[in-house]
Amino acid sequence: MVGLRNVIVFTIGTLRYALELRWVREVVSLGFVTNVPTAPPAIGGVCNLHGTILPVLDVGVLLDGVPGLAARQGDGALVVEVDGLVCALRVDQVDHVASLQADDGTVIDASGRPLVLLEPTQLIRRALELVTSQAEQIG
Amino acid sequence: MSELDFDADELAMLRQLFRSEAQDGLELIIARLLATGLVRPSEDALTEMMRVTHTLKGSAGTVGLPAMVDLSHRLETVFAAFRRGSVPWTATTADLVVEVIDALRSYLDRMTEPNADTTVDELRVTIDELARPPVSDAVPVVVRDDGSEADEAVNEAVVDSVPIPVIDSVPTPVIDVASGGAAVGEPAAEPGPPEPKTWLRVVPERIDELMSSAGELLFDRTRIERRVQLLRTLARDLARTRHTLHDALSDDTPLPPGMRQTLVKTDGELAGQAALLSQTTAALLDEIEALRRTIGVVQRGLTRVRMESVKSLMTHAARTLRALRRATGVTVELRTVGEDTEFDKAVAEQLVDPITQLLRNAVAHGVEPPEDRAAQGKPAVATITIRARQDGNSLVLEVSDDGRGIDTAALSKRLIATGRWSAVRARLASEADILAAVVDASVSSRGEADELAGRGVGLGLVRRTVAKLGGELTVSSVPGKGTTFSLRLPLSTTLAQAMLFKVDGQVYAIPDVHVVDTTLVDAQATTSVVRHDVLPVLRLEQLLGHGPATERKPALVVSFAGKDLVCTVDKIIGAREIIIKPLGPLLAPLTLYAGATISGSGKVQLILDSAQLVRRAYPEAPMAFQDQVSSPTVLAGRALVIDDSRAIREAMTSMLGSEGWIVDVAEDGARALQMARQLPYDLIVTDLEMPELGGFELISQLRKDERFKLTPIVIITSRANTEHRRRAKDLGVRALVAKPITRRKLLEALAAR
Repeated sequence: MVGLRNVIVFTIGTLRYALELRWVREVVSLGFVTNVPTAPPAIGGVCNLHGTILPVLDVGVLLDGVPGLAARQGDGALVVEVDGLVCALRVDQVDHVASLQADDGTVIDASGRPLVLLEPTQLIRRALELVTSQAEQIG
Repeated sequence: MSELDFDADELAMLRQLFRSEAQDGLELIIARLLATGLVRPSEDALTEMMRVTHTLKGSAGTVGLPAMVDLSHRLETVFAAFRRGSVPWTATTADLVVEVIDALRSYLDRMTEPNADTTVDELRVTIDELARPPVSDAVPVVVRDDGSEADEAVNEAVVDSVPIPVIDSVPTPVIDVASGGAAVGEPAAEPGPPEPKTWLRVVPERIDELMSSAGELLFDRTRIERRVQLLRTLARDLARTRHTLHDALSDDTPLPPGMRQTLVKTDGELAGQAALLSQTTAALLDEIEALRRTIGVVQRGLTRVRMESVKSLMTHAARTLRALRRATGVTVELRTVGEDTEFDKAVAEQLVDPITQLLRNAVAHGVEPPEDRAAQGKPAVATITIRARQDGNSLVLEVSDDGRGIDTAALSKRLIATGRWSAVRARLASEADILAAVVDASVSSRGEADELAGRGVGLGLVRRTVAKLGGELTVSSVPGKGTTFSLRLPLSTTLAQAMLFKVDGQVYAIPDVHVVDTTLVDAQATTSVVRHDVLPVLRLEQLLGHGPATERKPALVVSFAGKDLVCTVDKIIGAREIIIKPLGPLLAPLTLYAGATISGSGKVQLILDSAQLVRRAYPEAPMAFQDQVSSPTVLAGRALVIDDSRAIREAMTSMLGSEGWIVDVAEDGARALQMARQLPYDLIVTDLEMPELGGFELISQLRKDERFKLTPIVIITSRANTEHRRRAKDLGVRALVAKPITRRKLLEALAAR
């Protein structure tokens, strides 16, 4: 898959990622994050966005099993919608919006460095798998 | 009529009905008065008021309330005098009458209290004063019951034949429901007197009960749906297993002829059964879908029954403004738009206080003094407008004034001065951003924003109520032109009563109907005695928080589907009305939660599913561990039962004995080990928590002994958490059985493989 993509570039921890703008509904600052006991670490909690309950996902856990910082009130987040399922991805910093060249799961930023292009469909599927298997374990 | 016509219960019920009816009637009078404003009400309106008081007089007599008979009579007399014109209607009359009627209504609420008699005397005087001509305070008009006043106004026959007045389109605490569907929407068959509409009066609580049952149905459906999904997975697995068998049979491996025949037959049967199972689950899913639609229809229908027009809220607003005018001397005109907009009564009730607050705010801070207004070329009398409209699934209520507006520059300065905003943020903020700070939840801690907005305190209440109802509060303002607060609310809402409590710093909720009691539970206790019943304890601090408790904890006694348990918490907050929101598809597999609600400060609070709590305390089927293939089937033999409770030992002896077992007992693990060294047991049944040597230690010791490597072991316990199950599985325990033990549970555990 080669071509120009409109992406939002952001940082989580020390890593920078890109996500196609068409998935992003909103960039928000999180309200109070409620911890969900018995949920897998991929779920950083839930928070209230305009009266809707929104799960906050930890991208680090979903991509390579490494948890990032706990989601807290005031943290930045991208509100992502895939097939009617809405959730928030916690980020440390939103860098910029750009039109970048995409190549096989990565995009090349202005300084020529490759960035991971996140695939929200897969992230959410992974999250759902983790939640389901956790739920089955606990019964 | 005398009180002797009824027994005490009946009389109490009748009086309750009377009070409700009287409140409706008096509310109607107030509505008519407010509708006409300062001028004398029309002849028709006054006649209607007389009819109400006349009816009240009759019903009060029936239920044996002579004081109310007297007061209603006096009021009727006053209205008759106004109607006749014998007492002039002045600018203050409407206010005075509203005041009297309000006093009468509050007397109705308190009439069983001891000092109610003095109130009656005061009311008598104030009612009579209404009829006193203001110019000469000479002779009060005296009219007797048999006087012509009543007769000329009221058709006695009609009034008496309708014991309960039927009042249409009037704010009342009782909901009118049109019945006899045939009459609705059909053109009248013939001209002539129109068929009177039949109305059914329903106490609101009954509808609320139905609403909450309908809400429960939703939860039930979700539960069933999850189970069926599970069944479907099982059906698929079965089909797959059968395919494996089928494939194995088709590769010509030599098998004894009889065996092949049997297997082929079994394969055929399995195929049929698997197909049937998947057909049945598919059909079940269809039926659940139908159920979902029906529940939806029921809920929407009930909501419509509960709908009422915004008019009652507007009427209330008009009265608030009148009271404010009397209190502050500020004259404000109220304009209402969209009075016929309908919305959920439950929402309407919650909005009374917020609207009052917004009106107070507007009068106290929004509206300039008349001289300032004149200087700006505005009309001297300020106008407050309440607009209602439906927008999709929302009700939008706007409260606007034409006052000075909010000074955003000053507001921005204050936000910086109080350290809420950095100077940079303030510079970047748009007008709208600054205004949003007035209603922003995060500025709520101390009413600073309210105060500096020059809009007084109390916005917090508005914000909290709106948030609790699942709505949004916004504000817009034009300097010198006025301010508008806009409330966007769901048209209807599933309000439920829930018990709120804290565990590990977070607030959780549980449906209040399932909470039957509260108690205290010692640290480490696994059972608790509540009203002579020994109940299992579910430690929520372990389920939801970090580790075991070290102190005595408050606890909720939860009852669901006939099973009771005790749930320890950190702090019980109390019962609240909450709105149930779904957690969304991503978290739906976490069955522990029935949903969530949003607190007044905008935090998400999780609602625990009572059914799941019960299931955790009473695992229905014993936990069977399938991978223990090597353990032999238990038929009978010599069993060792270890429990520190003598009652349990006796019970187990009897149950196992009747199954043909020879039973030995031990009261702790150490003793059991001694006994096991001497005799090879065929079955070990042990408790977990025991003095000296606990259950798990005992089992690990036994497993080290060659003779007990594969012996079936069953754990009986009142606490079976994940950790316990994991350890049990590691030790090759056959089953965990939750106390209280029943014969069935025990047999199932023995049958488990």
